[in-house]
Amino acid sequence: MTDAIALLVVVPIVLALVPIALGRLWDGAGWVAAALAALAHLGLSVTVAAKVISTGRFTYAVGGYTPPFGIELVADGISATLVVLVSVVTVAVVLYARRAGPDSNSFYSELLLLTAGISGVFVTGDVFNLYVFIEITGLATYALVATGRSPAAALASLKYLLVGTIGASLYLLGVGYLYIATGTLNMADLSTQLQAVGYDSPLVLTGFALLVVGLAVKSALYPLHTWQPGAYAESPDSVTAYISALVSTAAAYALFRLVYAVFTPAFDAAVPFALDALVVLASVSVVVGSVLAVLQSDLKRMLAYSSVAQFGLVIAGFAVANATAVTGGLVHLVGHAIMKAGLFVGVGALAGVAGGRTVDDLAGVADRAPVVSAAFAILAFALVGVPPAVGFAGKWHIVLGAVEGGRWGVAAVAVVSTLLTLAYFARVVERMYFQDAPAATADTVSGPDATATADTDAALTPDGGESGSESTDDAKTTGTSGITIEARIVVVAAAVGAVVLGLFASDLIAVFEPVLEVYFQ
Amino acid sequence: MSATVSPLAADLSATVLASEVPTLPTADVPTVVPPAFAILAVAIVAPFLSRRLGHALGVLATGGVAVWSLLVPAGVYLQTTFLGFDAVLINVDAFSRLMGVIFGLIGAAAVLYSYSSEAENRQTAFALGYVGTSVGAVFAGDWLTMVFFWELMAVTSTLLVWDYGGEAVRAGFRYAVYHGLGGSLLMAAVIWHYTNVGSFLFSASDGITAGIPAVLAAIGIGVNVGFVGLHTWLPDTYPRPHVAASVFLSVYTTKTGVYGLARAFPDGNLAIAYMGAAMALVGVVYALLQNDMRRLLSYHIQSQVGYMVAGVGVGTALATAGAFAHVFNHILYKALLFMTAGVVIARTDEQSLKYLGGLGRALPVTAIAFTAAALSISGFPGFNGFVSKGMITAAAHKEHLDGIFYILLLAGVGTFMSFIKFGYYAFLKEHSGTWNLRRSVTGQRIAMLGVAALCVVLGLYPDALFALLPGSTADAHPFTLSHLGEGFLLAFLGVVGFAVLKKPLSKIGSGIDVDAVIEPATFYGMRGLVRGVTDLFATVDRAVVATANAALDAASDPYGAIRGPATAVVGREGSSLKEGSLRASIATSVLLVIVVLAATLVGLL
Repeated sequence: MTDAIALLVVVPIVLALVPIALGRLWDGAGWVAAALAALAHLGLSVTVAAKVISTGRFTYAVGGYTPPFGIELVADGISATLVVLVSVVTVAVVLYARRAGPDSNSFYSELLLLTAGISGVFVTGDVFNLYVFIEITGLATYALVATGRSPAAALASLKYLLVGTIGASLYLLGVGYLYIATGTLNMADLSTQLQAVGYDSPLVLTGFALLVVGLAVKSALYPLHTWQPGAYAESPDSVTAYISALVSTAAAYALFRLVYAVFTPAFDAAVPFALDALVVLASVSVVVGSVLAVLQSDLKRMLAYSSVAQFGLVIAGFAVANATAVTGGLVHLVGHAIMKAGLFVGVGALAGVAGGRTVDDLAGVADRAPVVSAAFAILAFALVGVPPAVGFAGKWHIVLGAVEGGRWGVAAVAVVSTLLTLAYFARVVERMYFQDAPAATADTVSGPDATATADTDAALTPDGGESGSESTDDAKTTGTSGITIEARIVVVAAAVGAVVLGLFASDLIAVFEPVLEVYFQ
Repeated sequence: MSATVSPLAADLSATVLASEVPTLPTADVPTVVPPAFAILAVAIVAPFLSRRLGHALGVLATGGVAVWSLLVPAGVYLQTTFLGFDAVLINVDAFSRLMGVIFGLIGAAAVLYSYSSEAENRQTAFALGYVGTSVGAVFAGDWLTMVFFWELMAVTSTLLVWDYGGEAVRAGFRYAVYHGLGGSLLMAAVIWHYTNVGSFLFSASDGITAGIPAVLAAIGIGVNVGFVGLHTWLPDTYPRPHVAASVFLSVYTTKTGVYGLARAFPDGNLAIAYMGAAMALVGVVYALLQNDMRRLLSYHIQSQVGYMVAGVGVGTALATAGAFAHVFNHILYKALLFMTAGVVIARTDEQSLKYLGGLGRALPVTAIAFTAAALSISGFPGFNGFVSKGMITAAAHKEHLDGIFYILLLAGVGTFMSFIKFGYYAFLKEHSGTWNLRRSVTGQRIAMLGVAALCVVLGLYPDALFALLPGSTADAHPFTLSHLGEGFLLAFLGVVGFAVLKKPLSKIGSGIDVDAVIEPATFYGMRGLVRGVTDLFATVDRAVVATANAALDAASDPYGAIRGPATAVVGREGSSLKEGSLRASIATSVLLVIVVLAATLVGLL
């Protein structure tokens, strides 16, 4: 039973080899391996979650070496929830990618590596092991971003590679400082050792600064976010959906673990500046991210900046440092993953219908793709924080916790961000529902496109995925809108999930509660 | 059916006189269903029955309620919860018993009169709804139930007015507006009262909470009883509908108001007492100026209700007893007056006293009934008005409220004068032509003469009524020499006054009432308010739209929006801003990471 937690990492890594090994023999191997891995991962994560819910937190010593010397994997309410989230998003993206592409074997290998890396981040109880998984996550992501075929994607990938590597290196440097100070790498052990060393030790403080800045780069807090909009906007839709849902989430989760499991609230009491600075950074991120999102005309870029703002909010919740706000941050972390993945898949699907990815291109698209448009609108309002969706539950607890903790600035920022979120989504929804499609231009856009794809090889069209499958394989697409049934399922499932999760937010919080109770004794 | 009405009352007085006990005999009567529901049930089925059966059921239900009210033992029945609050649907004490008896009794007479006056079933059904809700209001044991029925009473009475169509529709609207406002004020008072007391039950407190709730209640109820300034709906509405509908209207709304006032202010209130006196005088002065018969009678409702309000306001045991005795008596003679006026209007098709005359010979029974009613309302010794009016004035005198005392006496003179005027112009004055009229029919006669008989009987044997009254009648001595002299003196002054003022009175129009000021003020005030609000809204709207447009422009062309300010700051370079040029390069990104790290380290160390 407890082996399941290790298998969460092992199974995707092993299956990641399959597409490479069998790809020469069979083109479909990649997708099958990915699907198998996703389903197996789902089964394993559900097993872990079931065990956590029935018996509570449990640990697993890798290779039989007992901590603090060996590597420890930890499953508690929070990590179990997040690995289930990983499974669900993986299943959805694998399903979506079958038609939306990039349908290559190497893509599926990279995707499974990424799954393994993220799963590792969520379950590990060791700071150096965490670095390893962060690096696996990062490397897989750089490669995935580069699967977009435009030069811009390559540039974005390079930028991400350089900035991300610096972030990861800072993290590693921080781990080194802590190791020098304490001589241990196990999180639980570190928390006691750090207290013994003293929180005002320059080694510890420097280590904290390096760790936090390194992870802030990975979570894309303003002004360390510069790699993120390009990476999101230029990569293929299925990649964007996956990394927007999980990669920054993993970094934010790592930050949460470090602050509460390693440094503990006692550190906050001893060095208030540390979390104060984080609150300020996060709050600035919320406001500036939202404003930048409002300024975007490209939909994916808009959603990317929206992520900057939303992660600012999540980390602000963590940094307020009381149980209510941290709960809110975690709920929003989970909710954001589902909503943002759904929104990116929705943009990809609607772009196929509308013929473009700018806000103006979506004019009148609701008439042509009613189901996906409705789901997109629901997700948008969920992210704004309209009850009963999960966006409301998260923001509500963050605001509540901020008020409890006397951090009125955070409460105000959360409210302002809600208004700005409404501003940039209202703009899109207004175009979708209340403007007529430019009938003539729609024809001229789709006309040459269709002839071009008919003339040339489908694989060579710049947008690869949807336009190719749409023009070459009409029987597979659902007649009316040109949106694949998979995309439709994913977007609708995300919308339903966002609402259902909001309705059962109190159950989700009940799962988080035992973990936080330990931290906030 | 009709025969039961007056003998019932006769039985009642006989029983009481014979036994000579202050308490009334009680009997086992059903208390599972509120009496109001019985009447309302008839109101619902009446439109579907034949006219005869519908009206017969109406008489039976209302008469039954009168008998039931007389016999039911005092106490609280049907405690329940209403909208989640404790409520009492039947609360029998001296106040509600008296109201139940007279409401039922006069309801039966009025339904009988309606039947004989060719009222449609639907109108009588509305009237029965009105009677039923009024009965419900007076038997309520808590404020919430009372306000509930109070509002329904306003609705049903408005429907009763509207049912006649024509002129009555406009008047009904005004009536509805006034009563809507009054009901809302009372509701506000009751809610405020609840927040202070924690219960709606009458038994939970002594009257309504003092302070703002009391003021709100006084004004809210004041609309119903016709406080001076709030009364214009009364003479405007009551003359408009069918003559039989007027009989109902003259009885229930204002008297329920007096009852509510007594519940809200059980210990009296001097301001209310003076308001009552003012109503008595103002009402009678305007009544004197009227030529429309029902309009004249309507102003007399205000005047007579003024006596009752004064009695409630004085608040002593004698004054309270007098006020409710006057309620009882007034209902009898005022309904009777409306019946006689109704017969005159129905037969002659003429509303104005100017064109009448000599009807004493043409309509003898009506004339006799009118005489009894007129003498009663004027307070002539030997008629019931004399007794109850005397109790109120005596109570005011005892409390040394001389102002109220003299105002009420003066109003008494005015009452004499106006009814001498009514009688003179309608029945006595020589008429140029001869009337060739169908006389009143049997049903009308029974109703009129029965009520007239009660007026006389209760005038001669007031003890029959005293047994029913709340408060105390220990100090009530209607037939002392001085009191009798007072009555005759007022009558004499009335005759002299009419003789002197007859000519000038006929030259003056019907007078300008406060509505001449209130209505334009309301109209222009509302118009100003509406314009002010719309203009303000338009201004805000323009500002909001301009802001939204600016925001939309900025959002649709963000770089263009930044370019202006940027050019101003950095000069020519700003104009080169375009999509994407603000994005950080890789080098900048790395620099940013280092800057943030350095800042954090500096801060922490």
